[in-house]
Amino acid sequence: MSANGLNPEMGHEKREDPARLQDKANILLVDDQPAKLLSYEVILAGLDANLIKASSGTEALEHLLKHDIAVVLADVSMPGITGFELADMIREHPRFQKTAILFISAIHLSDMDRIKGYQRGAVDYISVPVIPEVLRAKVSVFTELHRKRRQLEALNRELEQRVAERTEELTERADLLELATDAIMVRDIDGKLRYWNSGAETLYGWDRETIVGQDLHKILSTQFPVPFSEIEACLFQTGRWEGNLVQRTRDGREIVVACRKALRNDKVGAPAVILEISRDITERIRAEDALRNAEKLAAMGRVAGIIAHEINNPLEAILNIFHLLRAHSSLDEEAMEYARMAEHELLRVAHIVKHTLSFYRESQQPVPVSIAEVLDNVLELQARNLQMQGITLEKRYLVDAAVQGFPGELRQVFMNLIVNAIQAMPQGGRMRLTIREQFNPETQSSGISVCVCDTGSGINPTHAKQLFEPFFTTKSTKGTGLGLWISKGIIQKYEGKIQFRSVHNERTCVTCFRVLFPRNISLKKSTAGAALSTVSG
Amino acid sequence: MPPPAIDARKAVILCVDDEKVPLLVRSRVLEKAGHEVLSANSAVEALELLQSHLVDLVLTDLLMPGMNGEELAREVKTRLPSMPVVLFSGVNQLPSESSRADLFVSKLEGPDYLCQKIAEILGQFQSPAADA
Repeated sequence: MSANGLNPEMGHEKREDPARLQDKANILLVDDQPAKLLSYEVILAGLDANLIKASSGTEALEHLLKHDIAVVLADVSMPGITGFELADMIREHPRFQKTAILFISAIHLSDMDRIKGYQRGAVDYISVPVIPEVLRAKVSVFTELHRKRRQLEALNRELEQRVAERTEELTERADLLELATDAIMVRDIDGKLRYWNSGAETLYGWDRETIVGQDLHKILSTQFPVPFSEIEACLFQTGRWEGNLVQRTRDGREIVVACRKALRNDKVGAPAVILEISRDITERIRAEDALRNAEKLAAMGRVAGIIAHEINNPLEAILNIFHLLRAHSSLDEEAMEYARMAEHELLRVAHIVKHTLSFYRESQQPVPVSIAEVLDNVLELQARNLQMQGITLEKRYLVDAAVQGFPGELRQVFMNLIVNAIQAMPQGGRMRLTIREQFNPETQSSGISVCVCDTGSGINPTHAKQLFEPFFTTKSTKGTGLGLWISKGIIQKYEGKIQFRSVHNERTCVTCFRVLFPRNISLKKSTAGAALSTVSG
Repeated sequence: MPPPAIDARKAVILCVDDEKVPLLVRSRVLEKAGHEVLSANSAVEALELLQSHLVDLVLTDLLMPGMNGEELAREVKTRLPSMPVVLFSGVNQLPSESSRADLFVSKLEGPDYLCQKIAEILGQFQSPAADA
């Protein structure tokens, strides 16, 4: 091919071709006799085409490379490259295999055979003498053929272009779906999941391969805010529904999502699939609740202040009165007993008021705080819960330990740990509180370790890392998720540590939270007998 | 004549409260605990009594109309720096540092606790009332 000078790399698309631009077909006339060329030109002048003349096969090849030729009209007998040789060269090149060739020949038998050999392509012949109408008609047919083929090619290219553009658009959309942090799902009317984006994978923890084909809401244990039939009715009527759902992730966390659903019908108008987009709003709700709680607490604080003032003043006077009455010399034994009972009951009232309505504001100076007292104080407030849930309490106060600090803060830490333990045992169980000396090899000194252990539901290992993060809770929106985070902050202030361990086996599950106070402590060994006590709930 | 030593006579407590009944019974409780009690219905009255009487300790309510307990404590400490002052209140609001009171006691702790704290403070302030 290259020997013939037909370089396939010379793409016809990029070539400057004024004839092509004008959208006229090019007809290449090849004859060594100028007079014949002239006569063809005259005959074909009526066709709306560009006529390009070549006086030899070589010249014809040059034109073929330069222009998009619709029809080659070639004299068979030419000096140099004959018409047939030219045709062979043209056919060898892939680009010209479909180019129409019209031979002009005196009819020899040998020529006829040769022409038949080309029958597969667009090849025809015209015998001499040339009849103008026949020549015009044949050239015209081939030109038209060429034009149609070019149109088809253009259409094809356009189609390909459009397919490519559409594919790109779809790919972009698919990429967008995968980029979204919201969970995007498509399920069919029976609830079977068909599509699940990576946002859903991240939010819920199941990967696409595992979950596609399964019943979506069964797997996510979805709790609907209204009966499911209402949601369906709304979807079928209006095509849309939105609301908040409570769902469970793969690692067992309960989350709240804002969900929007849309119904898509199939071609005949029957409900086909439901599109769902869900956004995790658990933290937002929790933060809002925390804020609301803070506001509630502030309001409660104001009320407590008023009550404290209005109730505590007369309360103090009555306490004093009974104190005086009890010691009054004129009382007989019975009256004295009543006065003593009244004073005792009043002291209980004062105690409750003090511990609920008017916690002391912390003083500026740290004081020695007995850990046992703090624990007992919390237990007293939780006594009712312990009893109601049937929790057995075991106290192992092995040392009488005090930490230099602020009683309110320490009470908050152990209130959190003890309340968590109680809440983990709704069906009852055992809670053990241990205070013991803990030698720290790093500082070569003794510290205090306080353990709160329960036999409750335990801690999922996947939650371990997040346990001390703010707003982390397994109680969904019921907890603030701040308890352990605040506790850790307080313990760190004391240069201490808070650790936990949850041990599961077939029958039981034990969870221990341990708080370590390494310094600023004072220790007195308790007598073991007095320190251990067990109370049954 | 030099005044008798503090342990040889009853301590004098100036008890201040705007509410009459609480003031009365509190005074009685302190008397039963072995103290002598002067009572005042306001801060102004208390300051007047301080000028004319020997006092060993001032026990004042926090919230009072006119000059409140904190202001009274500050005034007493300015005039008599060695005079022990105990703030006494039913609200859970700790007085500011500037009041310079020696102790803050909640009304809800009961009479025994109050008497015990007063005895402690009196023990700490050895200086006789005559200094005032």
